[in-house]
Amino acid sequence: MTLLEVTDVTKGFEVRTRRFTRAKGTLTAVKSVSLQIEAGETLGLVGESGCGKSTLGRMVVRLLEPTSGEVRLSGVLYDSDDPVLRRSVQIIFQDPYTSLPPKMTVGRILAEPLLIHRIVPEGQIESRVRQLLSDVGLKPEHANSYGSELSGGQRQRVSIARALAVEPELIVADEAVSALDVSVQAQILNLMRDLQEQRGIAYLFISHDLGVVRYMSHRIAVMYLGEIVELGTADDVSENSLHPYTNALLSAVPSIHGHVSGSRVESEPPDPANPPSGCSFHPRCSWAQDVCAVDSPQLIEWRPGQRAACHFALEVFESSRERRHDQATRGEN
Amino acid sequence: MTDLIASESQLESTTDRPSRLLSTFKSPLALAGLVGTTLIALAAVFAPALAPHDPTGQNLSQILAPPFWDQAGTLEFALGTDGLGRDVLSRILYGARNSLTISFFAMLLGSTLGLITGLLAGFFGGRLDSVIMRLGDVQLAFPFILLAIAVLGVVPNRSAWHIIVVLGIPGWIIYARVVRSRVMAEKEKNYVVAARATGASKWRRLFIYVFPSVWQVVPVIALLDFGFLIIMESTLSFLGLGLPPPAATWGGILAEGRRNMIVSPWLPILPGIAIVLTVLSINLLGDGMAKVIDPSGAKGGFRRLRPEPTPRADGPDEAPPLLRVRNLSVEFPDANGTISAVRNVGFDLQRGEILGVVGESGSGKSVTASAIVQLIDPPGRVTSGEILLDGEDVVQASDRRMRQLRGHSVAMIFQNPTASLNPVLTVGYQMREALRTIGIQNRDVKDTVVRVLTTVGIPDPKRVVRQYPFELSGGMNQRVMTAMALAAQPRLLIADEPTTALDTTTQEQILTELVDLARSREISLLLITHDIALVSQYADRILVLYAGEVCENGPTSRVISDPAHPYTRALLESVPRVEVRSDRLQAIPGEPPDPRALPIGCPFAARCLHVMDICRVEDPSPVEIASGQWTACHLWTEDRAEVMRS
Amino acid sequence: MRGRALLIRFVQMVFVVVAVVTIAFFVLRIATGDPARLVNPPGTPEEIIAQTRAQIGTDVSIWQQYVDYLSGAVTGDLGTSFRGAQPVADAVLRALPNTLILAGLTVSISAVLAIGFGALAAWRPEGLIDRLVLGFAAVAQATPAFWLAVVLILVFSINLGWFPAIDMRGWRSFVLPVTTLVLSLSPILVRTARQSFAETLSEDYIKAARARGLPTWRVLGIHGVKSAALPLITLVGLQLGFLLAGAVVVEAIFNWPGIGKLILDSLASRDFPMIQGGILVAAMVFVILNFIVDMLYAVLDPRVGAAQA
Repeated sequence: MTLLEVTDVTKGFEVRTRRFTRAKGTLTAVKSVSLQIEAGETLGLVGESGCGKSTLGRMVVRLLEPTSGEVRLSGVLYDSDDPVLRRSVQIIFQDPYTSLPPKMTVGRILAEPLLIHRIVPEGQIESRVRQLLSDVGLKPEHANSYGSELSGGQRQRVSIARALAVEPELIVADEAVSALDVSVQAQILNLMRDLQEQRGIAYLFISHDLGVVRYMSHRIAVMYLGEIVELGTADDVSENSLHPYTNALLSAVPSIHGHVSGSRVESEPPDPANPPSGCSFHPRCSWAQDVCAVDSPQLIEWRPGQRAACHFALEVFESSRERRHDQATRGEN
Repeated sequence: MTDLIASESQLESTTDRPSRLLSTFKSPLALAGLVGTTLIALAAVFAPALAPHDPTGQNLSQILAPPFWDQAGTLEFALGTDGLGRDVLSRILYGARNSLTISFFAMLLGSTLGLITGLLAGFFGGRLDSVIMRLGDVQLAFPFILLAIAVLGVVPNRSAWHIIVVLGIPGWIIYARVVRSRVMAEKEKNYVVAARATGASKWRRLFIYVFPSVWQVVPVIALLDFGFLIIMESTLSFLGLGLPPPAATWGGILAEGRRNMIVSPWLPILPGIAIVLTVLSINLLGDGMAKVIDPSGAKGGFRRLRPEPTPRADGPDEAPPLLRVRNLSVEFPDANGTISAVRNVGFDLQRGEILGVVGESGSGKSVTASAIVQLIDPPGRVTSGEILLDGEDVVQASDRRMRQLRGHSVAMIFQNPTASLNPVLTVGYQMREALRTIGIQNRDVKDTVVRVLTTVGIPDPKRVVRQYPFELSGGMNQRVMTAMALAAQPRLLIADEPTTALDTTTQEQILTELVDLARSREISLLLITHDIALVSQYADRILVLYAGEVCENGPTSRVISDPAHPYTRALLESVPRVEVRSDRLQAIPGEPPDPRALPIGCPFAARCLHVMDICRVEDPSPVEIASGQWTACHLWTEDRAEVMRS
Repeated sequence: MRGRALLIRFVQMVFVVVAVVTIAFFVLRIATGDPARLVNPPGTPEEIIAQTRAQIGTDVSIWQQYVDYLSGAVTGDLGTSFRGAQPVADAVLRALPNTLILAGLTVSISAVLAIGFGALAAWRPEGLIDRLVLGFAAVAQATPAFWLAVVLILVFSINLGWFPAIDMRGWRSFVLPVTTLVLSLSPILVRTARQSFAETLSEDYIKAARARGLPTWRVLGIHGVKSAALPLITLVGLQLGFLLAGAVVVEAIFNWPGIGKLILDSLASRDFPMIQGGILVAAMVFVILNFIVDMLYAVLDPRVGAAQA
């Protein structure tokens, strides 16, 4: 069953374009993005800073209103203050240091959503809080702590517990483990996977880290400059990518098994307020032809279940398969 | 990630318990302020009981009597009398009563208005905010004191309420601005956004979430405002615009005393002392509270704290490595104890070698780097050990010598390139300055700038030199930093998380360039990072730190393929990899130990899969397990290393 | 800032001046009631009061008076003094430079002191210099200007006879008034400068500059001052109002022929047009100075120039 349906969503922000003037331009952070998430599924959303992945995440939780397009939950359009929406979709943020109210105990933080939505009778709040704490691997004593007394990993567990309190169907995890040390990061990732198995929660898992995204996701969407450039199963996107940008991201990921030679990109991402014509990746793309500067490619299904917005997706696919082969042989040595 | 690593270098504890304000009185100055304020407030309240005479009672036989310390003075009129024979002590006590009451109510009026408008403007923003702030602009753009003076000058039958209103109302803007900016910062924080996502209404967010985090600033401003208002009230009464005579006011006593100041100089001086003491007490109290709420104030400045020189155990080395760190320990004392950031760390770095230093936040990797350039943030200090750069111990080097070494022999680039360049100076200015410091002649500087910028891959150096750091991308700024670091041809380059703040694709470009440049110039590189996979691609050797101690130090290929320490092994297994599908990550249980309360024994013992009894008792020292590979683990000394590999 | 931004800023300035004049006009009128009664001694016959009203132009509605006043002000006519019948504009413009020179000297000296002592204090926090600077600032901040002026006169004029106690004659007469004002303005500036330096000196770019081996004077004097002076500029703008209040007192005590004394004297003689005119000119000067402060900020901080305009 399709849980979340994002259709043709666009979000523009007004920005000052030049110094010394009040001239305003529009920065299109998210450009006609469509995607679906099934119940109990994890969709990974990967991209570099400024690509619009967080903006998209916030629109899904309706903390931002789309400029155009629709966000439906189980087929229904919701008002951003609708309690049903607020119970169904939750969000976890990156920075564990600002995501907990500084003046509340952990117990109070977890009681808040229970009180707001009257999820359990007053008398049972305390026991439900204890239950939530144990669900995320914290001790009952933590209910009396303040966020500042906890470690980064513990705070992130509290954030997860707060999201779980309303028994949501979808959790948007916006770089939820990026601020954590690797040794703690793995704990949180495993916790989130376990919770999904037990409760059938769907995740929109936003991260810049391809390794983490692959570990967590059933399917992966790759974003570049506000658009989804590739969308497919986690295995397909990570191993047989169709888009040169996905390739570039993959080959830039450091690996303990030696350097992956491949399609490195030169230069840096363009200014999102002033995107290039045609395919927005073409100035950095080694595959680019004349057509790419003019014609913006559509997100097309090139292989079963795998879509890409590239004029040369099949050629890219062939080359990434070769690269994959090289790598596999090297890994064995 | 950036925030967390940044916080490592500061190692600050921000305890946010609601009862923080009480800790104000740990400071002796604030305590003195509290005592002073309380005494004066009591004197004002009990003035009728304390005053020996009627403050308005004239006694024409006692005109201008001197105070008791004067030979002619008496204790009956302890502070003398004024030109109408009124007792000065009684008048000052009643003056306190009048002045403090008026100022207090004026403060109450201003703070209430300011708190309400600030909360509303900050939280709701939009048109309401514009209207309130525009009003504030008008108010700030004009000296309303002047208008206050004019109004009090013309108003018929001036009373205390007139003064309260005229003094109090203009104060609102100070409160409103601070409260508004705090509310605006607070409402964007994730916890408020998360509250909205869980369905908290806007009033709930304002009063349950935002308000508790911002209100503390109001009493602090109120106290400082109170002091200011006391001065303003006295100023008005000095100008004859305060409470009408014969009421006793400090300013009034002073104004009247001024007429007789040649014969009786204490008359204008005494009420002034009362004002100074009162306002000083209140301000000290306010400052103390402000420090607790906003502890951003005093860091350590440029202090450098050095340990006593220790006698060198071994004789001079025949062929010393470029860098040799021995038994380095660094501590950061703070209010809650002492953080042992680095303990007994030792390693060598050969000429032309690239050493990767890997560790999580709190592992001591950045502090070690700061110690090498002797720029540890005070009050942190090297407590023992030596850092030999080409055989010279930098820990004991003079400040002057250190300045020579920095820039010439050792260069450093930092995690956040944009923050590491001065935002108000152009890139060109900072480049030229750096080049002149290392002795490049003035006439060559401009050409050299362009040349070095070209070598680090900046496409348009002539344009870049005219730009400010905020106009360039993080990657560009890191290239500028690299250019500056390499221009001096240093022997050692320390790169502290040079690409953590950058995007994945940029990270790879920058690092590859950096490593290529170091290799081609035979510069030794200390590459500090939290990412073991990243460092494995560039480093010759890897040093793994955990909780301020060395776990493992060996050639990259050995450390990656057959790690000798359980922590290194666990670290490698806990990183999700993109090239293969992993079923389940082997997470390391638990969390790193509290650096203020380190366990006895091995710091990793509590999280180690192969922990033995000895690990909880004795901290292992590094042993050489193979040529050039060192590890600090009891498994090796106990001959049980095989269990790791199973 | 370019044309359009300048224009917007100018319109804002005009708005502020008009707002201030309006507020001053109505607040004063509401506070006083009927000026004609105030000008005459109590018990004056009604017909004489009516005559006065016609004379000073308060016999029409208050709105009409307001419109008349505004339209006069636009052409530079601020009315005529109740006493002596001299044009208000002349008197105010004669007094203005005397106040400006006092304020100008005060601001420049205080700013130099603040930057110098602020940098020295932050260089070694909680060291001897820092404690002395902060201690001095705390006491000076608690000291009222009028008392300080009296004490200075007692010591330096009456006892030592070094400087004149009143009137504006020669450079010696500047010493005591300027000292008084500097001592009341500089504490807050010094404290802010110290705080601002302390924050600047813990920035990454300061550490990076030191890691490049730059000499300490350069790190403090160029990198530190350029960033740390910015909050100071804003603060000077905000403090101008209190400086003016201080100037009123100082002018009164030292018999200094400036705007402050003009307003105080007019208050004593209930000279309405003069009070009104003094406030209007003060407001204009004020707004212009704040505009200059903003400009200075935009020039010194390239980020502001780029972001806000």
